[in-house]
Amino acid sequence: MVVLGINHKTAPVEVREKFSFTGKHIAEVNHLLSVHAALSENLILSTCNRVEIYAIIKKDDSDYLSRIKNFLGEYHKINISDFENRFYLHKNEKVVEHLFRVSSGLDSMVLGEMEILGQVKEAYRAAHNAKTTGKVLHRLFEKAFNTAKKIRTETAITRGTVSVSSAAVRLARKILGELADKKVLIIGAGKVGEQLVLYLKKNGLKSILITNRTFEKAQVLAKNFGAEAVAFENYHDKLSDVDIVIASTGAPHSIIKNDDIMHLMPKRKQKPLFLIDLAVPRDVEQEVNKIDNVYLYNIDDLQKIVDENINLRKSELENCEKIIVSARQRFIEWLTNEDIKHHEN
Amino acid sequence: MLSFLKNPYLSLHIISIHLSYIIFFVASVAALIYLVEDIQLKHKKTRVLFSRLPDLSFLDKLNYRLIGLGFPILTLSIISGAFWARDIQGAYWSWNPREVYSLVLWLLYAATLHVRLSEKLRGRKVAILSLAAFAIIVLSLFSSCP
Repeated sequence: MVVLGINHKTAPVEVREKFSFTGKHIAEVNHLLSVHAALSENLILSTCNRVEIYAIIKKDDSDYLSRIKNFLGEYHKINISDFENRFYLHKNEKVVEHLFRVSSGLDSMVLGEMEILGQVKEAYRAAHNAKTTGKVLHRLFEKAFNTAKKIRTETAITRGTVSVSSAAVRLARKILGELADKKVLIIGAGKVGEQLVLYLKKNGLKSILITNRTFEKAQVLAKNFGAEAVAFENYHDKLSDVDIVIASTGAPHSIIKNDDIMHLMPKRKQKPLFLIDLAVPRDVEQEVNKIDNVYLYNIDDLQKIVDENINLRKSELENCEKIIVSARQRFIEWLTNEDIKHHEN
Repeated sequence: MLSFLKNPYLSLHIISIHLSYIIFFVASVAALIYLVEDIQLKHKKTRVLFSRLPDLSFLDKLNYRLIGLGFPILTLSIISGAFWARDIQGAYWSWNPREVYSLVLWLLYAATLHVRLSEKLRGRKVAILSLAAFAIIVLSLFSSCP
């Protein structure tokens, strides 16, 4: 039993993309691989962060590796020897451990992310459809899904929020409740701000206003986001109406003052206001946070949440390893028993 | 049936006062959770993000809606209490400590409802009012031997 692969740790995206397989063709590729490399069982896992080939080798086959690599090179029409040092190869129980770690998100770029489990399941389904999986891979992946589930429920590895955008959305939910009927105003345009808007939209927020010193820029962005552009001179009027303000201008001094918000709150009928200040230097005066029903988070506050969560996840690694080791142990025992049965028959 | 329960005003008084106190208790719990979460959010204590406790907006609504529900019941209990007092003492209102407590309580909840419904205050201060009013209920229970 082996796994041959490249991932985000061994290769940059320019290299990984050369080897990746599109979901549409994956069943067919599994079949081709099985024939070309004469494998007993095989399964391809191809995501944006990794390409891995799990294979059960036939007995007394010592040449399998060059055949698999040949196949990869031929299929992608690249000279595989140029990338030799990008690949890693694990054998036997290392394969089990590796797969369990991958499925649980422990090997992911963002530690503990959960998307990977779905991708592993998808990869399994494709190989299953191509009939290139057998008894061993079937059992191995079934155990991988169980282990990932166990790690998710019994440890805090997937807990918390590990991006600035998701931290901001969580805060917004905690302050404002359901986001669907809320309004956001974006002042200025920056990359983080744009990501945040996309994330808010994904989380149900519908009403988006965009303003910028250059109105044309606001219009372009508004078009991209399905938002409404507001002239910079008029954005103050909109403050009484919105629930979230994302500020990310390049202004050298603060543009939202304490006094402004103090006078604004009675007009807003004390409706809660969540201010997200992504700008450096800051766009919003810090004292604003002291006003009732106003919550101000700047980029450092958000980054601190992210860092705390990443540390929380890291502190859970030991517990995850324990679960993985014992699951691996059980799988290896099963495999040994199967081997014995096989020989007895 | 116990003899004092034969007076319909007393029965009504007892039922309504208990009902309103239970409602105000739940409101004060919502207010307390609101205050804890509010402080954590203001001070960027991020543990609050992972608690399963409800969001601020929900707690604020729950607090004032419960007060809105409890208030007419409290009013009913004060009126029925006054009628009962007339039946046994001959006077609706005699400014005894219990009645003064009730009046203060009634005024405080009336004020809380007024500022929240007119949207002059929201959130933290309404939560504080709710807690203060419930503190008066607790005080009155401890000092209410007639």
